[in-house]
This record gives sequence, C-alpha cells and structure tokens, in this order.
Amino acid sequence: MNLANPITTLILLAMTVLSVYATFGALRRLSPSGHPGRPVLASVMQRVIVAVIMLTTLGMFARFWLRDGGWQPVTSHRDGLLLMSFMLAGAVLFIQSRARLVGLSSFALPVLTFILGWAICASAWTYHPFDLPTLHPVWRGVHLTGVYLGTGFCGVAAMAGGMYLYVQARLKRKQNLGGLGRLASLEALENTIIRSATLGFVLLTLGLVSGVVVISDGDTPLPAGWWFAPKIVLATLAWGIYAVLMNVRYASGFRGRRAAWLSIIGIVLLLATYVVVTSLPPAPPVSPTASVSNGSGHTNTTNLVLPAKSSASKASVLDPVEGD
Amino acid sequence: MRVLFTGINHRTASVTLRECFAVGGDASSHMDAFRERFPGCECVIVSTCNRFELYVARPLHGKPNADDLRTFLSGRFGVPMDQVASASIHREQDQAVAHLFRVCCGLDSMVLGEPQVLGQVKRAYQAAGDCGAAGPVLHRVFQQAIATAKQARTETGIDAGRVSVGSVAADLAHQVFADFADKTVLGIGAGEIAKLTLRHMMELKPHRLWLANRTHRNASELAEAIHLPASVGGARPWEQLDELLIEADIVVTCTAAPEPILTPKRFKPILKRRRFRPLFVIDLAMPRDADPAIGSMTNLYLYNIDDLQSVVADSLGQRGDQAQDCERHVAAAVTACMSQITHADLGQLIRKLRAKLHDIGQEEGERTLKKLAQHQDSPDAEALGAVLDEHTQRLVNKILHMPLSQLNQHHGDAPLGFYAAALRRLFDLEDDTEAKTEPTKLPEQAPGPDPDAETNSAESVQDKPAATRP
Repeated sequence: MNLANPITTLILLAMTVLSVYATFGALRRLSPSGHPGRPVLASVMQRVIVAVIMLTTLGMFARFWLRDGGWQPVTSHRDGLLLMSFMLAGAVLFIQSRARLVGLSSFALPVLTFILGWAICASAWTYHPFDLPTLHPVWRGVHLTGVYLGTGFCGVAAMAGGMYLYVQARLKRKQNLGGLGRLASLEALENTIIRSATLGFVLLTLGLVSGVVVISDGDTPLPAGWWFAPKIVLATLAWGIYAVLMNVRYASGFRGRRAAWLSIIGIVLLLATYVVVTSLPPAPPVSPTASVSNGSGHTNTTNLVLPAKSSASKASVLDPVEGD
Repeated sequence: MRVLFTGINHRTASVTLRECFAVGGDASSHMDAFRERFPGCECVIVSTCNRFELYVARPLHGKPNADDLRTFLSGRFGVPMDQVASASIHREQDQAVAHLFRVCCGLDSMVLGEPQVLGQVKRAYQAAGDCGAAGPVLHRVFQQAIATAKQARTETGIDAGRVSVGSVAADLAHQVFADFADKTVLGIGAGEIAKLTLRHMMELKPHRLWLANRTHRNASELAEAIHLPASVGGARPWEQLDELLIEADIVVTCTAAPEPILTPKRFKPILKRRRFRPLFVIDLAMPRDADPAIGSMTNLYLYNIDDLQSVVADSLGQRGDQAQDCERHVAAAVTACMSQITHADLGQLIRKLRAKLHDIGQEEGERTLKKLAQHQDSPDAEALGAVLDEHTQRLVNKILHMPLSQLNQHHGDAPLGFYAAALRRLFDLEDDTEAKTEPTKLPEQAPGPDPDAETNSAESVQDKPAATRP
C-alpha cells in the first residue's frame, strides 16, 4: 500500500490552510484602509511562510523514507507543484527581506495558496507519476529543473506584474494614495519583472530544448507535426512572451503596463500547458500501432506520435502514465 | 462701514472654474476696476491656487451688495453669472471677518493648518495697500487676521509636524521610481510652491536638476535660492524645454502661463523619443500648466495641486484638537476686531456730530452777537437776558430738530422703543418721568420742532419718546 499520497495530501492541506490565513492577512494589508505598520500580522505571515517551507521539506523527506531510499525529488506533477510552492515560499522570504520590494509578498501568497490547492488536487484525485525509468536521467533532470524552476521565476514575474498593475491603477486613479507608501515602486517592480522573466526564459529554454531531446531520444527523427501538440504550442508561445519581456527595455513599446500584462499572460500560458499535459487526452496516433503497452502492464496513451517500438522511451516527462 | 466677502474656493468650485479666476501675480487691475465701479469702497483680492476671494468694506447703507459683487466678478472674469452664483459664497460683517481669520489660520485650507496661505494673504494685502485699494477698515481687518493667525499657529501648534505638498510629491515620486541616482528632475517656472517642492526633490539626490523659465534670470535666482550645486544642474534656456522634457524623469511645473504649456500635442513625439520611460509630472500652477489629457498617456503620471493636497489632507486627518483650539482663538479675535471696527465707526460719528454741533453753535453765536450789538448803546439787562434765552432756545431746537423729526418718522429698521431707550440712556433721563407722564400716542407724521420757532418748548419734545414705551 502506498502511503505517500494520503500523507502528502494531509501535509498539503495543512500548508494550504496556513497559506489561506496568510493570504487573508496579506490582502487586508493591501486594502487602502489597512494600517501600514501591522507588525503582528507581518510576523504571522512570516511564520506561516517558514512553516510552509518546513512542511514541504518534511513532506519530501517523508516520501523518501516511505519509498525505502528510492526517493526522487520529482516523480509526478504533484511533486512539481510542491517544488514550486517551496521555491515560491523561498522567494517570498527573499522579497520580504528586500526593502524595495515591500508589499510584493502580498501578491505572492495568493499564488502560493493557489499552487498548494492545485497540488492537493494533483495528489488526491489526479495523481499520475511520470514514466521516469524510461527516460534519459541527464535530460530528464535538465528538463524537470528547467521547466519547474523556470515556471517558478515566471510566477515571480507574474506576481510583480500583478502588483505593477495594482500600484499603477492606484496612481492613475489618484485614490487612496496615502497608503501607497508601503508598496514597491513601479520601477522596482518592472525591474523584478524583467529579471525574473530573464531567468525564467533561460530555464524554460533549457526545459524546452531538453524536452525536445527527450522526445526525439537523440537518434530518432521527430515525427511529422510534433510541434502541433497543444503543450508544445502553448509552451512556445509562453517562451516567446518571455523572450520579449526580458528585452522590454529595448522594445520600449512594451514597457510598463504592457510588460506587466505580458508577464501575466506568460504565466497563464504556462499554467495552461500544465493543464493540457495533465488533463487533456493525448493526441491521436497517426499510426495504428502507436498505442502500445509500456511494458508494465499499462497502456501508454499520452505520448506524442512516435514509432511503436520506442514510444515509451520517447515520452515527455510531463506526460503522465496511469497508475504508479 | 460694512465688511463683505464673496469668493470661490476648492470646496465650492472645480479646478477648471478656479482657473477662470486666476489672476496670477497681479490683482491690482481688478481692484482698480472695482473701485472705479464702486467709489468709496475698499477692497482686497486674495487669489491662490485654491481660492479667489474678494473682501470689501463699504458704507453702511450703500452698494455693493452680494448680487453686485457676483455681477462684477462674472463680468470681470467672463464667467457666466449662473456659474458664479452657484459656486460662490458670500458672507457679511463678523462672518466675513471670521472667514478671513480662518483662511489665515489654515482652517479653511484643504491641508488643515498649511502655512503657505498666510504668506499669500500677506502678499494680497500688501498689493491692495500698494494700489490704495485697502482703506482703514480692511487695514484693520487684515492686520488683525495676520496677527491672530501667527498667534494661533504658535499657541495651538496646528501647523506643527506638517506634511507639505512638496513632501507628498517626493513620496509619490518614490512610488514611481526606485532609485534617483540616475534620474533627472526638471523645474519649470519659479513659483513659491515650486521652490518648496524642488527643495524636497533635491533631498532625493537626483542625478540632474534643471530649471527652465521664460526669464532665464528667474531660473538662475531660483537655483541660488534652493542652493543647487552647479555639479548637479542649473538654469537652462527656455528654448531647450523639449529636449529637457525628453531627458527628465520628474517634472515640477509652476508657471504663470495662462494656457497649458504641456499639451498632448507636444508630448506625443516627446514620449516616443523618451522611449516610453516613466515620467512623473507635478503641476502646481494655477491655471494649470499641464493639460489634464496628458495624464492618460502611457507611463505618464500627472498630479496637480488638488491631487497632492488631498493626499496631504488624508495623511493629516482632521487634527481635531488643534483645530478646535484654533477656532476658539479665531472666535475671540473676530469679536475683538468687529468691536474695534464698530468703535472706529462710532468715533468717526462722534467727530462728525461734534463738528456739526460746533457749526450750529457758531452760526447761532454769530446771530446772537449781531443782536447783542444792537443793544450795545443801551445795555438793558432784561433785553440782554431775552437775547441769551432766545440763543439758548434756538440752539437747543436746532440740535434736537433732526433727531426728533427722524424719531417722529417711523422707520422700519428699528422699533421706536429702541430709540426711546437709546435717548434715555444717552441723555441719562430718569425713569420717573415715565411715571409722571401719561402715555400719549405720537401723531402721524408729526413735524419736528422748528428751530426757528421762538417758543418751542424743549420739555414737550422730551416727553415724546416716553409715549412710545409700553
């Protein structure tokens, strides 16, 4: 019996409750009538975030022990989300230590809560482990690291983008300007967007390239029309957006508000990619022999169109297989 | 004299309407026009970015009244009468004086207790004095208002720990920019508020701070006034304004230009050449230097004086205790000031009365001397006594003729009882006369005593007021 899922789900639930509490505190802090210096609330938020990180780490170690040493950091989409929440919590702590980014954690906590909630779903109801043993370990590592870390940085860019729009709207409407002093400046937020988008772009590039290598398996040419797959299209669009974002200082027409919107659209596209990967049915094979057994008694139905002989080994790591 | 006030302010009129009444630095032409239209009146015009107020002192029964003042303002500034009527406020006597005192104390300001308004009132009063528009009444009122404001500010601390427009502008600049070491500030114009704001901007330690003015010398003087180091910036020619706007990140503008100098048409090519870098524009001028339409342009943040002052007001709250203390100061000072105005009026009245009585006395004295000259050859004591009696009778009748004939004509503005009480008090008439005299009705339109009548009894007229007593 695999106890990993119930335990992880419980840990995720605990973290989500804490994060919801911190989120309400953060949103209250954002409200124009909110008192700028709520030291109690700020310290509670900080503790909650530290607790989230600790619980996430505990959850990972718990899985390690329960798997008798066969622990791998990311074996499913749930693990990926957990890793993202871990990184996001770290980012929140970093942001809180930066005077110039004051208030950005208020935008990070709702995202953290959302990711944790999503991780609960991925753990309790839609749990699908990746077909890791069939993949090249180096490219798999590069792919997973690139995709999840890249998404994490893109998430930070999106949070900064959301806050940019919020601060800009208040500045333009000229209402309740008195409380704006406790929020980061537009310039600092734009810098955060650009830096995070640049890091995200680099890591996503690594993830996408390694993903293509994983699909092609090095020696076999890619099947015709492989780039029509929704996740490839969505990921490429997001990649293009981040390519523009990191050069926004030179493409001045995209500065400010447009850059903020691009950062949000970019993360929405990346999340849509994850949704496509985990939810949508696989593309229909062009060859009647495409749907084959993966050798473990289960039928692999989510791969891209690949020769039957090597279909299992050419699956993207984000393509789940049924069962554990 | 009667003190009147008519005006508009930030509470009653929008910025757009206030712009129509902006007089810039010179209100003397308007004050001259006012005195030409209403001779014998005093006036002072107080014009700031938040208010336009016309203070008038006129004879007790005369022009102008509230409608006359509104008509004058409407005609003078080309604003439709209905707009003036709906946006203006009018106060008279102690209320008008109290309004000025409250303005000077900063109690009527958007930023409670703000100190700039006192300087602006001083300058307005100085200008009125220079062009001879302020007379003895308004001199007294304005001097006391300024003195009271100074005292109230010191004693109540209403302006202590103040948050100024300049500091709020600097805070808002912090909201747009994270670092000022690579930023350029541009000051356009050389207004007083611009000077204060630029001082706050200098505290941000920008990379450059340029000043541009149509009169280059004024910009240089402003640079000296704010102790701007030459290594940081200085005055630049007005012709380079477009280039400076391309370079600038923060613009503080406060010129006396009647039309906006920062328009969308001017800014459109500038924003492109700036590569859409954020631009923070602080418009402190009245009328405004920046067309409000530029506020909606990409990455351009425009704030005018109202926006900044509302932020200041929010941050300060209502300062209830100090405001109440200040109101008490104002109430006491207004009572004292009105009392002084009334006393001054009375003194003038007494001087006039004395002069008039002396005239009568002199006239009658000359007449009596002529009569005595006729008896010079045969000095008969009885005849001389008759002449003196006649002199006394005529003098008394002449003095009493005007007041008693006015008393007989029933005026609506005060009851007869009031005059009766006044007579009794002024001439120290005993109440026992009331008991001895049967109340009789005054005859309708009864003629007053004829000063030329030889035997008009003074007693009979003395009894008349008593008849009005209940």
